[in-house]
Amino acid sequence: MTGAGGQPRRASLVLLKRLAGSESGIAIPVFVFLAALPLFGSGYTVFILPQYMLYGVLALSLGLFWGFAGILSFGQSAFFALGAYTIGLSMKLGWGGGIVDSGYLGLILAVTFAAALAAVVGFFLFSVGIRDTYFVIITIELSIIAQQVAITQSQITGGGNGMFIDRMALNLGPIGSYSLEGDLAIYYFVLPFPVIIYFALRWLVGSKFGKVLIGIRENEDRLLSLGLNTSLYKTAAFALSGALAGLAGALYATHASFIAPSLGGVLFSTEVVVWVAIGGRTSLLGALLGGILVAWISTYLSAITPEYWQLVLGVLFVVVIVYFKGGVAGAVSRAIRARRALALNDG
Amino acid sequence: MPCRAQSGHDVHWRSTMADILRIEGLTKTFRGLVANQDIAFALAPGTMRCIIGPNGAGKTTFISMISGHQRSDSGTIRFKGQDITRRSVVQRAQMGIARKFQTPSVFENLSVFQNVELAVLGTRRPAAARGARIREVLDLVRMGELADEEVNSLSHGQKQWLEIGLLIGNDAELLLLDEPTAGMTAEETHATGGLIRRLTRDLKLSAIIIEHDIHFVRDLQAPVTVLHLGRVLVEGAFAEIERNEEVRNVYLGEE
Repeated sequence: MTGAGGQPRRASLVLLKRLAGSESGIAIPVFVFLAALPLFGSGYTVFILPQYMLYGVLALSLGLFWGFAGILSFGQSAFFALGAYTIGLSMKLGWGGGIVDSGYLGLILAVTFAAALAAVVGFFLFSVGIRDTYFVIITIELSIIAQQVAITQSQITGGGNGMFIDRMALNLGPIGSYSLEGDLAIYYFVLPFPVIIYFALRWLVGSKFGKVLIGIRENEDRLLSLGLNTSLYKTAAFALSGALAGLAGALYATHASFIAPSLGGVLFSTEVVVWVAIGGRTSLLGALLGGILVAWISTYLSAITPEYWQLVLGVLFVVVIVYFKGGVAGAVSRAIRARRALALNDG
Repeated sequence: MPCRAQSGHDVHWRSTMADILRIEGLTKTFRGLVANQDIAFALAPGTMRCIIGPNGAGKTTFISMISGHQRSDSGTIRFKGQDITRRSVVQRAQMGIARKFQTPSVFENLSVFQNVELAVLGTRRPAAARGARIREVLDLVRMGELADEEVNSLSHGQKQWLEIGLLIGNDAELLLLDEPTAGMTAEETHATGGLIRRLTRDLKLSAIIIEHDIHFVRDLQAPVTVLHLGRVLVEGAFAEIERNEEVRNVYLGEE
């Protein structure tokens, strides 16, 4: 390799190597794979995968809060359900009065309401110094309340029968409106959400905001003594987490065309915790893939062994908590680091 | 009125006009147990003060009331002329009061660099200036070489120095150091004395230092306040304190 030809090739090699060593080195191929999947995947896969991608977004919402700020929430399903019912009502009742697209308005309101609920809950709890276990208990209550409200307010929500809605349309104003009824259309409508949210969160956790969240996870009292108003950061993080869960819920509702009260329940919230724990909570990619893959596997397991799949998942969860605190992502990054250290020693 | 060492030359450090810290009548009781009783205290800008006293004398309580971790029952605390008696820990830290805890409070699972970065993030410095500032602080506490080390792997003494680095990175003007040499070897203790003297001198910081190690206190060459049963027993230069009969009885005699 000589002169002019060698330089760029070496540079691209360096870039490739750096990519391979970072999370993006796995994330980008995964997203490319997801983008190409409809070319060779079965019809059912194309139909069902957007649902798992949205579970992935829901897992990201918890990954941010649990993995980075270090605070566990069993309330993610409450925000998910709030988002789902909001877009459902918006489309059913034709909010926006024909002036504003009721699907878009539903999405925006879903995010706004979920963020507002999380912000209010977070503000009151964090500003009076509620921490750790007490916060977790209150988020469990949040899920219980969400499911109860969805069941009892049946004149609005359809109660235990759930709510049926149409798929929203991609309304491009003067250019026209595209139906998302087709599975392929909605697949590519949903796909950008996990991708954009993942990279936006990656940027966020590297910013001042993300660094302070990590500081809160590691030693909140120290941060307070350094003059950082941690309850403000925690409230903002919880609001953002709620907003993402609400968005995922709204998109889920329009994709599935059906909203059940159990989407707001503790059981579903617990599943989200399991996804993130298995995927690896301190890695955003771990959380995202945990949401997609573990949910996928759960469905598969529930089909082949309807009696025992929750037991299998439960055992897996316990094993991860006991032996792999960082989940799969933590184990992978440890293995990569160990290999690199070995390579350094050999070199 | 607390009794004081009768000496002419303690007046020069006991200024009255522009004290950075001025405390009057500070009292704190825990379920009837007196921790601090009617303490009067003043510190001139850019000066150090050691606080000594037997266990249970109320030293940590005193510092906690200055940092805001404990609320006083009565009395006033003024920092740079402002009454901060009712201000929160966060507000006081933002004003420039920074505390080092008895057991080092650092971010154990983060790198030395990330630790100082979090301290710098607590200041109003613009993002572009942070990197240089972190390097500067690491050099000040002589930990530049350890920047990428995880704090877990540091010695106890290094953690103590790192925590002092956090206070510097936080742009503190008043350092509250609670036993900065606890658990250190004699050599580390000596180095810590040099570090604190150098930092306060070069950066013109004020410092209140709680200490048990009497050799360290002598090393610091700072005036000393002796607390006993929650009251100020005596204040003065180290040499006078060492000679003081009362102090010998309650404290030095035990050593």
